[in-house]
This record gives sequence, structure tokens and C-alpha cells, in this order.
Amino acid sequence: MTTIAATPSLSPARSKGLWMSQTLAMSKRSVLAMVRQPALVIPSLIFPLFFAALGSSSFGRAVRLPNFPKVDNFLDFALAGTIVQGVLFGSVTGGAALATDIEQGFFDRLLTTPTSRVSILVGRLAGAAIFGAFQALFFMVVLLPFGVSIKAGVAGAIVIVLCGGLTAMAIGGFTAAMALKTGSSEAVQGSFPLLFIALFFSSAFFPRQTMQGAYRRIADINPVSHLVEGARGLVTDGFTAGHVAAALLVPAAIGVFSIALAVRTLYSRLAAR
Amino acid sequence: MTSTVTILAGQATGGTLLRSARGLAMRGLRSIRRLPSAFFPALAMPIFQTIAFSGTFFAITKIPGFPTHRSVNWYLPLACCMGSGFGGIGLGFSTVRDIESGFFDRLRMAPAPRLALIIGPLFAVWTRVLIVITAALIVGFLFGARLTGGVVGLLLMYVAGLGVATVAAGWGLGLAYRFGDMRAAALMQLTLLTAIFLSNAQAPLNVMSGWLHAVARINPFTNILRLAREGWLGDVTWNATWGGLVSIVGISALTLAFAYRGLAKLAD
Amino acid sequence: MNTKQPGPTDRSSDGGSSTAPIIAKGLVRHFGSVKAVDGVDLEVHEGEIFGFLGPNGAGKSTVIRMLTTLLKPTAGSAQVAGFDVVTHANDVRRRIGVALQDAAIDPLMTGNELLHLQAVLYGLPVSQVRARADELLERVGLVGAADRRVGTYSGGMRRRLDLALSLIHQPTVLFLDEPTTGLDPMSRIALWEEVRRLNQEGTTVLLTTQYLEEADQLADRVAIIDHGKIVKEGTPTALKASVGAPTLLISVAAAQALTARDVLAKFGELRTTSEGSLGVGLEGGAGAVTDVIRALDDAGVKVQHLELNEPSLDDVFAESTGYRLEGAASTGMTDAAGPAPARKRGRRK
Repeated sequence: MTTIAATPSLSPARSKGLWMSQTLAMSKRSVLAMVRQPALVIPSLIFPLFFAALGSSSFGRAVRLPNFPKVDNFLDFALAGTIVQGVLFGSVTGGAALATDIEQGFFDRLLTTPTSRVSILVGRLAGAAIFGAFQALFFMVVLLPFGVSIKAGVAGAIVIVLCGGLTAMAIGGFTAAMALKTGSSEAVQGSFPLLFIALFFSSAFFPRQTMQGAYRRIADINPVSHLVEGARGLVTDGFTAGHVAAALLVPAAIGVFSIALAVRTLYSRLAAR
Repeated sequence: MTSTVTILAGQATGGTLLRSARGLAMRGLRSIRRLPSAFFPALAMPIFQTIAFSGTFFAITKIPGFPTHRSVNWYLPLACCMGSGFGGIGLGFSTVRDIESGFFDRLRMAPAPRLALIIGPLFAVWTRVLIVITAALIVGFLFGARLTGGVVGLLLMYVAGLGVATVAAGWGLGLAYRFGDMRAAALMQLTLLTAIFLSNAQAPLNVMSGWLHAVARINPFTNILRLAREGWLGDVTWNATWGGLVSIVGISALTLAFAYRGLAKLAD
Repeated sequence: MNTKQPGPTDRSSDGGSSTAPIIAKGLVRHFGSVKAVDGVDLEVHEGEIFGFLGPNGAGKSTVIRMLTTLLKPTAGSAQVAGFDVVTHANDVRRRIGVALQDAAIDPLMTGNELLHLQAVLYGLPVSQVRARADELLERVGLVGAADRRVGTYSGGMRRRLDLALSLIHQPTVLFLDEPTTGLDPMSRIALWEEVRRLNQEGTTVLLTTQYLEEADQLADRVAIIDHGKIVKEGTPTALKASVGAPTLLISVAAAQALTARDVLAKFGELRTTSEGSLGVGLEGGAGAVTDVIRALDDAGVKVQHLELNEPSLDDVFAESTGYRLEGAASTGMTDAAGPAPARKRGRRK
């Protein structure tokens, strides 16, 4: 036996445990960052509520339009869109925070430690998911007294919370990829209009069934439509396998794609160092 | 090696209001050409809003009592007014930058009328807003907008847009002078967005319900938006016009006075 | 030309102007609870270059901002070019030129455009704008760069443009707020030249600086401001004479510092110096140096370094404020022996 064998190669089990604790530490940091800077977070909680209130007052009568899906009131319809909108707002903030880490050199300092590279990323995304789930819960709780009722009950509400978390992770993957690619928080903030376009050309604010022409076709293929409609079905229709699947699988599928993209960007940033 | 003295020392008379204002307007206009990246969002936003809102809320015109059957007719004037508002706020942004860089001190030390420091850049804002409205208008026509009130109706939309720009510019300047940093910028955007949306921006008064109806009924932006839209919803009537004009004159006077006082208070 | 140091000249022959171009009486300015300027009296004579000296945060810029109508005094009054800065602000503005501390210039504009804007704001007749702008560009050596955007200018070019802008209306009083801060030595000397030339053409100049060398080179009279108050005022020559004896600086091993101090004290008053060295105002002048060395030798002190400095504004400053200016060593203009800051000052705003 030579001493070479004694080099600190960790057993798979221990390295897995280490990986988990590093990831947890990273996600804890990103959640704390949001709690400590309420000015960054509050807009993503207030604005969607403002627009929900606005829509409910302006379009209250629209629910009786011929092609409008059957809902009790406009707020029931708007809830899912409000959640997704809030999560999109929040994801930009998360991505910008990662870019700020890169700008300020914190990211490079992390890389000089034996922290697993991927746990830096996954930790951040897990933090985003926790915040996204919180947002979903927050919007439901705030809008309940204003007449929102969730047809799918508590189980449905739990699925919606999970959907918020998964969506935050999926969109967070894109903004993280952008942060890793550009290293500029300004560029990440600049992606905001893109998310807004994705949101508007979907059924987030109004049902697809009432749209027409090319606009309708875009909304039909826009994944955001399906994401929103899964959660919306749970609110306005009830607990069905179809709604649950849409609410969870669509963001999960987007997430697989976006996180793969983010990991790839991470490695190309590491390779460029 | 003294150069020839062409005028007598200390004889500068101080710039006149119009000439100084024109000089400052030119400065504002040059920045469109020299910093197009800053102008592009202002140009793109109303175009996007026209397309997105009329596409998403295509069906709302079918609500009983809705005054038009073309959603683009409803949303184009709104997009123009919001774009104009953000054009006005943009003056607040650039003034914050001038204050932070110290350039604004140079302007304040000049013996030109204080009013010139406000209306000069405001001329530039108006020009930018005319470009923005015209661009949105062209896109609106391509997406099916049809003018119902003739040339006068069209002109009234421009008047409303310039009015919102003036109101927003006064507000933005006043906040810029008082805060002197980018906190002012966030405040300008938030307040303008809120003020415009708490009106008949999304739906006409007779269609909306509850708290929003109560707020929108007394919000002067409701009058201004009615003015902007009347050429797109039917015939131009004096009834739909005067409220908007009074609102524009009234709130512009208030926000410009707020700006003027803020300018004087910079020395306090 | 004009490299000679302008000594105090006879100003009494200058025209019949009855009031001094700059008079401040009891100027006070508070920012909240901070007293930035705490009772400044000032009189600058016609045709003079007046140096306003002080560290960052001493209140220099606040005084300038009040004199140039940018800021209203909390108390006290000031007249510039014969007019009250508060009640007749526009009359003051017409007669003064101001070059700002950081040469704030819109980077998107060209030099020519800025000059034209300035000319318009100062009400220059249209027919004269072109000629005046060309004349000034020529004067500050920016003819070639006139149509380039200011964003592409070097620091020195920006300062020169700033100076040209402040001269567009031929002001009778010129304020220069730290005109050479951050400039390389070449640009600094060129700017000094220009200031002297303007002064000889009859312009009264008030300049603030944190560089003692600059005040010494340019100013007919100097005021030292600290903690919002003027602590010393006079011609550089008189101020330096007031310090008296030249300063002998020695460095010794730390263990021998106390002994050395006692020895030095016999030869004159001990002076404030930078850390690691000892200073004494040598009453016997240069001739006493050998005596000092002998005395130190007798006491067993080994001298590592020794130098003799004639009194400088630095000494005046140290004497009146109890510390040395940070800027003194970083000008690149003071002699290499210039002492390092004795005590770091926190930056006050």
C-alpha cells in the first residue's frame, strides 16, 4: 500500500452527503438574500396582486362571454396567471442576484473552495423554488377572502404550491443561464421584456378560447399557456389527473431543458477561466 | 499672446427664455440619435402593448356595453398615452443622471430663466413622444385599427399623448429635483403606472365594477383616455373632449409647478 | 512665458471699483445637523488670484457653491461682482465663470455643441457665438477635438473644455473648484499657465485646491479652511514667514526617538511631521545643522536620514490645523522630501 491511496478521495456516500449540505447552504443563502432585501422581493408580490385586482374589476363581466371557460368569478380565473406572473418577476430577481455574485467576485471565490460546481447552481435554483412555492401560497391566501375558491381543495392547493416551485426553478434555469453567460445583472434585468412577451402571448391573462388568428395559434403552442391552465384547472374545475399532470409536468419539462442549459453554460464559463 | 477680446467683459445679458429653451431642446433631441439604445425601449413598448393587449383581450369588446368591436381601437390610444407617460418620465431619468454627474449644476449656474430649464427639455420630450405615437399608430393600423372620428379624432389622440407626457415630465422632474438619485426613478414609474391603470385604461366605466369604478370615475386620467379614444370609438363630441382638455391643463399646471418649486429648492 | 511666480502686486491702481469682487460675511451652511460651513468671512480683491485651501470635506466646495448661487446660505451673506448671491442671483451668474470640480460634461455632446449651448444660455448675441467658440477652442488647444464627443476626451481635455465653457461670456470673476485634481503634472502646469494668463487679462480668480504647491504657485493670497472655518489668511510669503524658521527633519531608530526629541527641542520648537520622523523649527537656520548633528551624536543617537526644508505652505497648514494635507504628497509637484500625511483624515461630506 502506498500513501497515494490516502489522498482525500471521499467515499461516494460521504461525497453525496457533502454535496447535499453544500447545496442546502447555497439555497439557504439565496433565500436569506431575498428575505434581507425586501425591496427586491416585494414588487414581485405586489404587482401581480394589483393586476389581479384590476382585471377582476375591469373584466368581471367578461366571464359571461360565449367562449369563456366556466368559472364562478374572474378572480378564480386570474389566480393561476397571477402566480405565474409573480414567479416570473421573482426569477428575474434571482438570476440578477447570481449575476451580481459574478460581478462582485463572490462566484469566483466560491470556485476557489472545494464546493461542488453544480451545487452552486442547484442551490440557487432550489432557493428560487422555495420562494416560488411561497409566492403561490401567498397569492392563494391573500386572494381567498376576495372570493377565490379552489375547486380541487387542499390537495389541489398543494399541487399549485408545487407548481409554483417547479415553475420558479424552470424559469430560474433560464435566468441563471443568462447570468452565467453574460455575468451582468443589467443584462439579466434586460431579459424582463422577453418574459413579459412570453406571458402576454399566452392564456395567462385571458382564455385562449377567446383569442383569434395568429395570436391564438401562438398562445396555443406557448408552454406558458399550458403551465397556467394546469393550475387554473385545479382552481376552477377540480382535482383531475389532467390538471395535475399539466401543473407539474409542464414546468418540470421546461425545467429539465432550462437547467441543462444552465449547467452547460456553467461549464463553459468554468472552461473559459 | 492675449487673444482679441471680441466682447466687453461682463456684458453677457443672460439667455432669453425661448433661445435657452431651444438650446436645451436640441440637446435632448440629439440624444435620440446618439443613444438609440435608450430610445428603443420607449419606442417598442407602446407597439408591444398595442399588439399584446388587443390580442390577449380580444374578446372584451364583446362584453355588452363595450363601445367598440375592435380591441385594437380600444388599446392603441391607451398604449400611446402610456408610452407618452413613460416618455415624460424619461426626462426625470435623464435629469437624475445630470444631477448625479454635476452637469445640472452647470445649467443652474447659467443666467437663463429657470423656466427654460424645464420647458427646453420638455420640447424634446414632445418631439420624442410624437415619434413614439406615430410609430405605434402605424403598427395599430396594420393590426386593424380604424379611425372613426376623422382627422380631428386622430389629432385629439396626439393632444392626449402630449398632455400625458407633460404631466409625467413635470412629475418626473419634480421628483428628480427632490431626490436627486435613482430612488426618484423607481417612484416615478410606480406612481405613473398606478395612476394610469386606476382609470378606464382596461375597460370603460360602464363595464367595470366595484372599487375600481369608484376610483376611475374621479381619476383625471379617465378623462384624458376618453379624449385619446374618442376618435376611435365613434364621433368626436365636445362632451367627451372638454373633460380631457381640462384635466390635461389642470394636472400639467400642478406637476409643472411641482417641478418649478423643486428646481428652486435645489439651492436650499 | 509667465513662469514667474506672481508676487503681491499693487492693486490700488485698478479702476475705481468701490467694492471687492467677492465679499462674504459670516457665511454659514448647515446640512441637517452637519455644519459644513461655520461662519466664513472672506474678501477677494479685484485682479487677485485667491487660493482657498483645505482638505476634503473642510467646506471649500460648499463655500464655492454658495458664492456661485448653487446653494443658499443658512446664515450670513455674500456679494459677488457687486451683487448679492441670493437676491440678485442672475446678476451674479452673468458675471461669473465657474469650472466645476469634476468637469461635469455631457459625454454625448461635442465640445462645439457644449460651447454653443453655453453661449445661448449666457445670452451671447448670435453673431458672436461662432467667433467666440472658435477663439476659446484655440485658446485651450481643442480645435482638433471640437467636433468629437466629449465622452472620448481625456481628463485633461475635459478640464480645458470646462475652462473654455466657463469663459464664454468673459466673466470678471472666475471660480475654479479644484481645477487640477486628478490631472497629470504636464496638464496641471498647462492649466496653471492659463489661469495666470487670464488673471493678467484682468480676471479675478478664486481657486480651491487641496494642493499646497498649487496655491503657492498661483495665489496672491491664501485662506486655509478647516472644519468650516477659515483658520489662516494672508499672502503665501507672509504666511510662510509667520512659521519662521526652516524645518529640520530627521529619522532615527524608534528606540532612540525619545532621546532625539529631547535633543532637538533644544534647537527650537518641535513641529508636526509625518510618522517615523522628527521635526524642529531650526531657530539658528541652516548654520545650526552641524550643531544639531553634533548634539545628536553626543547623545548617542544615530541619524538615518536628515533634511532641511525652508518653510512651505505645508508648514503653515500643519501649524494652523495640526495635521498635514493628504494631497501634499500626491501632487507629484512637491519636492521628493515632502512629508507624508501625518494623520489620515476621514472623509467628511
